[in-house]
Amino acid sequence: MKLIKSIVRPNKVDEVKDALEKLQISGMTVTEVRGHGKQKGHTAIYRGKEYNVSLLPKMKIEVVVPDAIADDAIKAIIQAARTGEIGDGRVFVLPVETTYRIRTGERDL
Amino acid sequence: MPDIDTGRFDAPRQKTPASLLDEARRELSEEILRGDGGRRALARYSERLDGLIAQLVAAAPETAVPVALIGIGGYGRRQLCLHSDIDLLILFGGPIGDAEERVLRAVLHPLWDLGLVVGQQVREIGEFASLEVDNPEFLMALVDARLVAGNPALFARVQDAIHDPLTHAHLLTALEKLIDERHAQFNATLYQLEPDVKDAPGALRDLTATRWIAALSDPSLLKRGIGDPTRLADAEDFLLRVRSVLHYETRRHHNVLNHALQERAAEILGYPGVLPQQRVERLMSDYFRHARVVMRSLESARRLAPVPVGQNLGRINSTVRFIDLKQAAIQPATWLAAFQAALDASGTVADSALACIRQHADQFKVEDFFPTPAHRAALLHFLKPQAGLYARLSEMHDCGLLGRMLPPFQAITCRVVRDFYHKYTVDEHTLLTIRNLERLSTRASADRHRFANLLEDLASPELLVLALIFHDVGKWRDTEHATESVRMAREMFDRLGLDADARDVVEFLIDNHLLMSQVAFRRDTEDPEVVRQFAEVVGVEERLKMLCLMTLADIEAVSLETLTPWKEELLWRLYVDTYNHLTLGYGDELIGPTQAGTSDLLASRPVDLTKEEITTFLEGLPRRYLQLFDREAIYRHVQLSRNIHPDEVHLWLEQKGPAWELTVVTLDKPFLFSNISGVLSSFGMDILRGHAMTSPHGLVLDVFQFTDEERFLALNPDARERMFQVLDDVVSGRSTVSERLRGRAESLFHRQSPRFMPVVHCDNDSSRRYTIFDIIADDALGLLYRISRVISRHGCDVDLVLIATEGQKAIDVFHITKAGHKLTEPEQRELLAHLQQMLEGGYEID
Repeated sequence: MKLIKSIVRPNKVDEVKDALEKLQISGMTVTEVRGHGKQKGHTAIYRGKEYNVSLLPKMKIEVVVPDAIADDAIKAIIQAARTGEIGDGRVFVLPVETTYRIRTGERDL
Repeated sequence: MPDIDTGRFDAPRQKTPASLLDEARRELSEEILRGDGGRRALARYSERLDGLIAQLVAAAPETAVPVALIGIGGYGRRQLCLHSDIDLLILFGGPIGDAEERVLRAVLHPLWDLGLVVGQQVREIGEFASLEVDNPEFLMALVDARLVAGNPALFARVQDAIHDPLTHAHLLTALEKLIDERHAQFNATLYQLEPDVKDAPGALRDLTATRWIAALSDPSLLKRGIGDPTRLADAEDFLLRVRSVLHYETRRHHNVLNHALQERAAEILGYPGVLPQQRVERLMSDYFRHARVVMRSLESARRLAPVPVGQNLGRINSTVRFIDLKQAAIQPATWLAAFQAALDASGTVADSALACIRQHADQFKVEDFFPTPAHRAALLHFLKPQAGLYARLSEMHDCGLLGRMLPPFQAITCRVVRDFYHKYTVDEHTLLTIRNLERLSTRASADRHRFANLLEDLASPELLVLALIFHDVGKWRDTEHATESVRMAREMFDRLGLDADARDVVEFLIDNHLLMSQVAFRRDTEDPEVVRQFAEVVGVEERLKMLCLMTLADIEAVSLETLTPWKEELLWRLYVDTYNHLTLGYGDELIGPTQAGTSDLLASRPVDLTKEEITTFLEGLPRRYLQLFDREAIYRHVQLSRNIHPDEVHLWLEQKGPAWELTVVTLDKPFLFSNISGVLSSFGMDILRGHAMTSPHGLVLDVFQFTDEERFLALNPDARERMFQVLDDVVSGRSTVSERLRGRAESLFHRQSPRFMPVVHCDNDSSRRYTIFDIIADDALGLLYRISRVISRHGCDVDLVLIATEGQKAIDVFHITKAGHKLTEPEQRELLAHLQQMLEGGYEID
């Protein structure tokens, strides 16, 4: 199993969700986050004053998927979230050792 | 002499004033000696004097200006003692000229000749417009005013001026001070062995003060304070009988009951006792008993008197209540004032008042609450965001008033709409949006200051609150609610007679209240096209600010968790991008020959305007122009632009609320903008906001909103003509603005160092056609003149200007060119340096 953490533009969340659902991946965690990548944000001007927008609002989407469909899921996310411009975000893939259902305590395979 | 009202008095005309006075005095003296010179005898004596005065007035020459002779003070109360001054207000309904002087002489000279001491006040009715600056003792004397002779209508106007809640409040404050000062002269004790029966604590003045306090605040105080109002009347009669003896015995205006006079008074007033000492002890014992009643009554009245805060409204501590609940129950137009008074006092409305409203609210309809334009204006005033607004609105809602005043709100009372987000009923969600706005205005956290600044900047924040009240009323049914909310609000605004400009704004906000969150959270706001489209819908900065604040307040009222810092940031970024688009990019978007959205404008044009005139005028102006001005203003601008020749100005000045708006149409020339703004400064006008636009054919349209700080326009009947003449002279070159400003040189050019560092930012990228200077500086008289003068001295043309004020800061955006092009980099640097230097006080502009 893989944990796929995607940091995407806020307006891309719905498209990423739709793409994942097409792969039958329906369980996910979506979090509002702020951060920056290599560009470390940018400078904006308001009323003549420059100010640095270092932490940009992004959405984090986390899904845990079987190894077999991990690549498809990653591809679907990238395709749905891409605009081609700086700031499109990142996808991180981590191995998952095991998961448990809290309600029943059973181990999920 | 018109309108002489002498019918009430049966003064025998054949008698001379001297014989009338002798007769009155003889009669009163006899009463005094019988020990009966109290209330009844003094009233009779006062009325005899009325007859004398009425006779003098009847014999006086006639005047075109109406006159009223009004008894005030003790004479007004009909308590004139044998040697009291006769306090008389001689009031004229217009200017006092020779004819009126003759009336004065005809009345006053005979009174003086009779040896009477007249405390006369000669006034014109116009002086009663601002009573609060008048002598407090005179104002107090007016409380007892009564018409002795003359014009009743004139007297009624004085009564109206005095019997106004604000005047009452002012009088009460003044009275408190007068009482304390007078008591201090007597060491604040009533137990004087030789008391002054007029001025001492517990004596006649205190008795009058007690009655005044009740009359000015709550007449029922006299019943509640000491339990038995007849005791106060007894005390008054006693004190007057004593005072009458003092006047009679001393043959002058003497009020101190000294030891010698105590014996005589005890004797005349018939106190029993073999020895004078015994009689005196009984007299003085009576005196102190009565003085104590007076003193206790006064203390009680002072303690319990509510501060008058409106018609039939009083405030005790911070609770506002109706003085007379029966009256309140049938006067729904006074109810909103109770909540306004509570807001003003950071207090609450009394339970008794809320219960009264709850009991009677159902009997009234919208028009009963807002019968006049002033009542409707009071609603808008009430809705200005401030501490306590949410609490007061909640009280109004709880007692059923809000839904009766604004029926669409009734439709969402306790309305439940089940979704994943909302945690409160629709009515409470709505009121919470207003609380959020209120908190922004009163205690914004550090990360909310940026939004709080927007709120502070709004010219009409009450319209935002009005929009919030109605934004979700359409949720009474389950279909698309924004459209339904607008429909319901429109009906309401018809009934409220809301003016067209305000309606446009409020309806826009209600209709689009979901738009900004949709764009901020669901669209790619880094795409300039998304921002451009959003900016096109919003149109102007004021609406953008309102919509941004509305969105913030609305999201925060959904639940405690809904508005996250993440969402705030997205919202703010969309605001900034749109603001920059509106203020920096608008110069590139011009009205074309077949501009969409002008068909209505052309179709509804006045008969004297042709389509060609309108389209020619519009062509080449920024598209923003169509969103800034309503049809009437646009038609007026077209009319002003007719037959304009070089060096001419066509002007229009009108009052808009507390500010004035000047529209200037002329043809472009160097230094034009600085000259016009300089002329306004030379008249002491503080420019708050405005727009300057230049069309490609060189037609200039400048619209300035300003406040008349020195009340030049208010105080001078020919002010408008003088200002227009100066503008004409300066624009045509017949005189220079620097000459006019010389007298103000101190304040304009040698200012002290600024309160905060000015910001000058040059932007050569946002517009294809213009170099843009963003200037944020201390708001000061003549600032625009100084900035634009520096720009013009650099050989630049001021093509477009946006003028705004945010608190103490002026925010001005200049779009400029030099010889028709954007500025080169060295030109930008040089101008920027000089502007910065000038704003910091180191660059001389003239």
